Amino acid sequence: MALYLYLQFPALQPDSLGCTAAQQLPVAVVNEQHCIVQLNAVAEQRGIALNMALGTAAALCPNLQLLPYQPQLQLNILQSVAQQLYQITADIALDPPDGLYIRLCNMLQLYQGLAGYWQALSHELQLLPYRYYYASGATPFAAKCLARQQLNLLTGEPDTLDAALRCSPLRFSELDTDSQQQLQRLGINTLGQVLALSQAELARRFDSSLLSYLGRLRGSFYHALHYIKPEHSFSRYVELLYDITDTAVFSMPLHSLLLQLEQQLQRINAACHQLQLSLLFRGMPAYQLSIGSAQGEYRAANWLKLCQLQLDKLKLTEPVSGLQLEVTAFVPQQSQSNDLFQPVPGAVSALQLVSLLQARLGYHSVSGLRLQNQHLPELASQRPLPLLAGKAAVAALALRPAFLLAKPERLTEAVEINHGPERLCPNGWELEAQRDYFIGRNSKGQWLWLYRTAQQQWFVQGIFS
Amino acid sequence: MSALLEQLARRQLVWQGNSQHTAYRAVSSGYAELDQQLAGGFPATGLIDIQTGTGIGELRLLLPYLQQQQSSGRLLVLISPLAEPCADMLCAAGIVLSQLVIITPKTGKDALWAAEQCLQSGCCASVLLWQVPLKLAQARRLQLAAEQGAASLILMRRPQQGLSLPVNLSIKLQPHRQGVLLSVQKRKGGWPAAPFLVDMQNRWPGLCFSTEPQWQARRKAS
Repeated sequence: MALYLYLQFPALQPDSLGCTAAQQLPVAVVNEQHCIVQLNAVAEQRGIALNMALGTAAALCPNLQLLPYQPQLQLNILQSVAQQLYQITADIALDPPDGLYIRLCNMLQLYQGLAGYWQALSHELQLLPYRYYYASGATPFAAKCLARQQLNLLTGEPDTLDAALRCSPLRFSELDTDSQQQLQRLGINTLGQVLALSQAELARRFDSSLLSYLGRLRGSFYHALHYIKPEHSFSRYVELLYDITDTAVFSMPLHSLLLQLEQQLQRINAACHQLQLSLLFRGMPAYQLSIGSAQGEYRAANWLKLCQLQLDKLKLTEPVSGLQLEVTAFVPQQSQSNDLFQPVPGAVSALQLVSLLQARLGYHSVSGLRLQNQHLPELASQRPLPLLAGKAAVAALALRPAFLLAKPERLTEAVEINHGPERLCPNGWELEAQRDYFIGRNSKGQWLWLYRTAQQQWFVQGIFS
Repeated sequence: MSALLEQLARRQLVWQGNSQHTAYRAVSSGYAELDQQLAGGFPATGLIDIQTGTGIGELRLLLPYLQQQQSSGRLLVLISPLAEPCADMLCAAGIVLSQLVIITPKTGKDALWAAEQCLQSGCCASVLLWQVPLKLAQARRLQLAAEQGAASLILMRRPQQGLSLPVNLSIKLQPHRQGVLLSVQKRKGGWPAAPFLVDMQNRWPGLCFSTEPQWQARRKAS
């Protein structure tokens, strides 16, 4: 038998205010029609109810704290709840603005029955700050209807569920208000009465939406649910409680963001190479920082170290009001295998070291060296990113200096020539640009790499070290 | 008598010449006369101070050592080199370029920080640091980092007077027509040595003048 669970969260927005000060104040959420749509426990004690007008609520409770209703925020919270529960149960579908459908029937075997399943799920729900109501049902709509009545009914018995559904009032169903009114005028007040009517009669008097609802409520029509999948990206925003001007103070809010990232990465056994950190200001466009780790990293402590190295260099001209952390690509975690017989202390790999150096010194201050298949000395050496394995096929030319000067300098002293000439010509048609190279030693004992141009001018290009 | 000696030896009050152990693990420098003077070669870990002018053969002296250090698969790091390092020369000397990292920091402070990070990490075999003024406390800190990561730091400095730094080996190089003139100024577990010639004629014939009479003869012939 199919079994579904519906979770309803009546006050996601007030419950998401983390600080304890907010939990002691009456908080309510108002929509654009100035109607109370969500409230916390303190506000409820003061006599405020849902769907109350704002004026009435303010008269009842003068220190009522109001929040505007934000559909996007509501959806984000709901998604984060679903991601959290995904660890326990497989099939979760969102029902915006405040509900979750969960398909129970295929999880029962894993948890050895409903009791074990509910224990695991309620434990996970208790870790979250949100209040919730729940009910099970044979179809998604049946579960939703029971949960909206705040029955907190969890059972696999078909008879109990059926009985509870049959005596549910119509206002908890998904029917539009017109149909509800029409049914009430006929003297029909509960779902049981509607379900008892013959379908042909209903089809004659009502439109198809009622029939399709009843079909899905009974389970005779297929009800498609879009089950969520674990995300492969990360995007979180944190509004700072006060504006921050000192980059050292960032570490606290940033660490909490990075911990959330670590949790998500750890669950799917992934790491990431790049973070995008945006510092949001009140009067300026956001400042983007991109922090990289050449070896994929998931641990918050390591990321925090890399972030702080970059933040230390930063000079803030205006206080920061929010932080946004984004990761667009995840990579599978790769385990590092260390040498068993010659363990080297310090658990830093070469890639981690390079990331650390790049974070503090700048991306271009750290480089590798690659040999190109070129005969001109200026082109033979290339400075790519570090630790790239190049093609080893290029044979090195003998007798080249260890260091090349950035720009050849005129020879201004007497030298003793030891070796040469070696003629290098950039291109076959540019005979004017040909150079004759010599190796010489000056009076200080330095070995220099010299060349003579076709115009008989002498230059120093390199130093043998 | 022997009982008394034994008692003193157990309390480490007597120093015996035959119980010497080397202060560091040595890696062959690739030059026989230098290995002999240094009792095996350059230290595999710790600080090596080289006081030298530029371009007289200081890197050529180190290349065989650096190549051996790198052979374990660990990195070789060059911090603030004099000019653009040339891939041809390093590759010809057997340095694996994919295990080479070049760091060009903007300030001396950053250079020292980078050196310390590299030494500590345990994934670098050798770090070369050019011309960064170093205080005693900083040298001590780098020495500890080098011991922690089992790496060696080679300081290339101009010849200078001043306090001697806590290093495993300090040598001074002077130019010579057949190689370099090397004097050991300080060696852990050994004695300073008088200047002697490290002959590079076999390894680097193109960068040495051959011995005087032959050279003059060739000149006359040409």
